[in-house]
Amino acid sequence: MISGEDTQVAATRPATTAAPIAFLNVSKRYPGRAQAAVGNLSFEVPSGEICVLIGPSGCGKTTALKMVNRLIPMTDGDITIDGRSVNALQVSQLRRGIGYVFQQIGLFPHMTVEGNIGTVPRLLGWSKARIRERALELLQLVGLGSEDDLRRYPGEFSGGQQQRIGVARAMAVDPPIMLMDEPFGAIDPITRDRLQDDFLRLHREVRKTIIFVTHDIDEAIKMGDRIAIMRDGRLVQIDTPDNLLAAPADEFVADFVGADRGLKRLRVWTLNDLELDPLSGDTLPSAPAATSLRDALSLMLTAGATSVAVLGQDGTATGSVSLEAIAAMLGPEPRAPAP
Amino acid sequence: MSVLAPAGSPPPSPGPVIPSFGGGSSCVVQNRQFCGAWFVDNFGSRFAPRLVEHIELTGIAVGVGMVIALAAALIAHRLGWFETPFSLLSAFLYTIPSLAFFELMVQVTGINRFTAEIALVSYTLLILFRNTLAGLRAVPPDALEAAQAMGLSRRQTLIRVELPLALPPIMAGLRIATVTTISLATVAAYIGAGGLGEPIFDGIQTGFKTEFIAAGVLAIALALAADGLLVAAQRLLTPWARRRRA
Repeated sequence: MISGEDTQVAATRPATTAAPIAFLNVSKRYPGRAQAAVGNLSFEVPSGEICVLIGPSGCGKTTALKMVNRLIPMTDGDITIDGRSVNALQVSQLRRGIGYVFQQIGLFPHMTVEGNIGTVPRLLGWSKARIRERALELLQLVGLGSEDDLRRYPGEFSGGQQQRIGVARAMAVDPPIMLMDEPFGAIDPITRDRLQDDFLRLHREVRKTIIFVTHDIDEAIKMGDRIAIMRDGRLVQIDTPDNLLAAPADEFVADFVGADRGLKRLRVWTLNDLELDPLSGDTLPSAPAATSLRDALSLMLTAGATSVAVLGQDGTATGSVSLEAIAAMLGPEPRAPAP
Repeated sequence: MSVLAPAGSPPPSPGPVIPSFGGGSSCVVQNRQFCGAWFVDNFGSRFAPRLVEHIELTGIAVGVGMVIALAAALIAHRLGWFETPFSLLSAFLYTIPSLAFFELMVQVTGINRFTAEIALVSYTLLILFRNTLAGLRAVPPDALEAAQAMGLSRRQTLIRVELPLALPPIMAGLRIATVTTISLATVAAYIGAGGLGEPIFDGIQTGFKTEFIAAGVLAIALALAADGLLVAAQRLLTPWARRRRA
């Protein structure tokens, strides 16, 4: 799913790595409990994709995530990274190759930002200069990053900034895969939105393979290349956000994605994805081509219009999109978004 | 050769028993509260060596106590059951009256500094053990999870994460233990361990006020200085503790 543009961006950076992850009939049973916490879980995450695990609490999503870096040992089955079983490596070696970001962040309060980011590099024997250079590069990548920040302590940063540092630390030795356990769950909604946007931008650059756990369906739709919905330790459906919203596999999934799944789908597409009608000459509300259909719809309803003018890169209207066109996207036989 | 009070003013019983502290100064002869000049003249010969001994007594006691307490706390941190027996033992040792403790130990190890150290170390264990264990247990679980997920071994986690984060309560324990030991170590002179207790006992025996007041004040000054040094060391070792977002 790497588009031409993205590969170009990636090529301008130092080579980064990614590796596919596969769950093969993975189960986790706890002694004395009849039901498996995770039962026969099988799915693949292709290299460079973000796969979101979602489901109600207790569905096994975090357990599944933590079996990848063996924070929780699996009972049955296997998980492979780039074709190699996670059990084939020494646990410390395995974990150093997997970035881990979680809700509580877990920065070391007694270390500076540089010390935090440099924890694993130091264990690997990197030179001080190389660690400093890498820490600064990563800080800038996550949207912080004056030299000054390197010498400050985690307690001097806001929650959102701390999670950015947490992401930078997880990427310190350029691990091919990252595990993210509700990474933005404890952050206020506005900051969370910014972190999500920035993380998606970052991901387009570094293209790690990511497993991302959340309980927030909106976050899943926004972040996931694919979404795996779990219930009672089992995988119920795995699909792209669009397909999941268009065709929920059963009642449970339909319920989980919400009665407004039609509106949620509109969020997946932008005005760019539609064929434009010619401009009619009426005065229309206008929006940039990157606007989501949901926002465009909202704009039309607010302005009392039935079409919206689409602005190109240079800010001039290049065409329009009508209410009917948007409605048609959600019709019983959804037409595929234009390439 | 005792110096008697001036004739004509018969001393109240039992009479001044000022020993051979040099009869020159009238302050000394009359055994006034504190004779500054005498103290200055005698500091180098009578007090400085005792002060050094006192620092040694305290340093060894707190140092050895810290090593034992740290080891015990690390064991208790891994093996929960170990906490209660060691707590009980150290609390029991702490409750023994110091003079009785010294006297008891003399029967085992004799009249010497080693005996004194055994008692002094015993008194540091309770506070050092409890604070170290509390510090280790107060390490935020999220920092531990991060360390684990980053592939740090148990030892690496202990050295790089747990001990540094436990440092503030450990240092707090060290301050209390040090000040307590400086005070207790004066009693150790009773069994010949030296230190500032020696001039104190001597002054009490001879009735020469300047001697035991000077030694007592030196012990207090030493306690304050040691506490100040430890505070400075803590600020140096835990810079993160002061740097918080406003």
